[in-house]
Amino acid sequence: MSSERGMSLIVKTTARATIPLIGIFGAYVVSHGHLTPGGGFQGGATIAGAGILFLIAFGFGEMEKRYSHGLYSALEGLGGLAFLGAAMLGLGVAFFYNTLWHNGPLFNGRPGTLLSAGYLPIMNLAVGLKVFTGLVSAMVAIAAYRRWGE
Amino acid sequence: MIAPEFLYAVVVVMIAAFLSLLRVFLGPSVPDRVVGVDTLNTLIVAGMVLLGAAYDRTIYIDVAIVYALLSYVGTLAIARYLQGGLE
Repeated sequence: MSSERGMSLIVKTTARATIPLIGIFGAYVVSHGHLTPGGGFQGGATIAGAGILFLIAFGFGEMEKRYSHGLYSALEGLGGLAFLGAAMLGLGVAFFYNTLWHNGPLFNGRPGTLLSAGYLPIMNLAVGLKVFTGLVSAMVAIAAYRRWGE
Repeated sequence: MIAPEFLYAVVVVMIAAFLSLLRVFLGPSVPDRVVGVDTLNTLIVAGMVLLGAAYDRTIYIDVAIVYALLSYVGTLAIARYLQGGLE
């Protein structure tokens, strides 16, 4: 099998249909982390599964064109910083004080709705972004490691 | 509260899963074991959906959907490895 090519036509077409599905479902798991099972890590790992499916189905050459190392490492850092920023929002009372829930302007809806639970949706989004970019970067780095290839 | 008819269906799926696990243990070649694992994945998805119905929790279906999507990726990765790897 040649090196930079992907898999067969059936696998590529199925991947074209499945990758948006996995991505949307992972985004659902991340954004509903405070209501349903899952959350930041699980949703981020699911979206990273879409990235791994892209890498497997279309080959490393196609992934190399779409992947930008600077962008992914910047986004991973941004995820960590957003988590820390959400934790520091209520620093007037305590670290990790949920001030958005107690007296914040947003994310303080009725419990059980999407815009509730204070800083938890922000933290889930941050952790999901960090896990997705980190896992995809790790997989691309492993795939780029050519020792047996040539 | 467990609905008994769904629980019996889960027991049937579990017996089938043990049979496919037997193929994973005994399979003489690697593709036999891969097909066994793939069958096991599908049966486990069926068991998760049935257990979600048995316990009357709709949010358990989400886990089954994620497992079905990611088991596809895992089987594809093994298939690609057996086909000659990424390089």
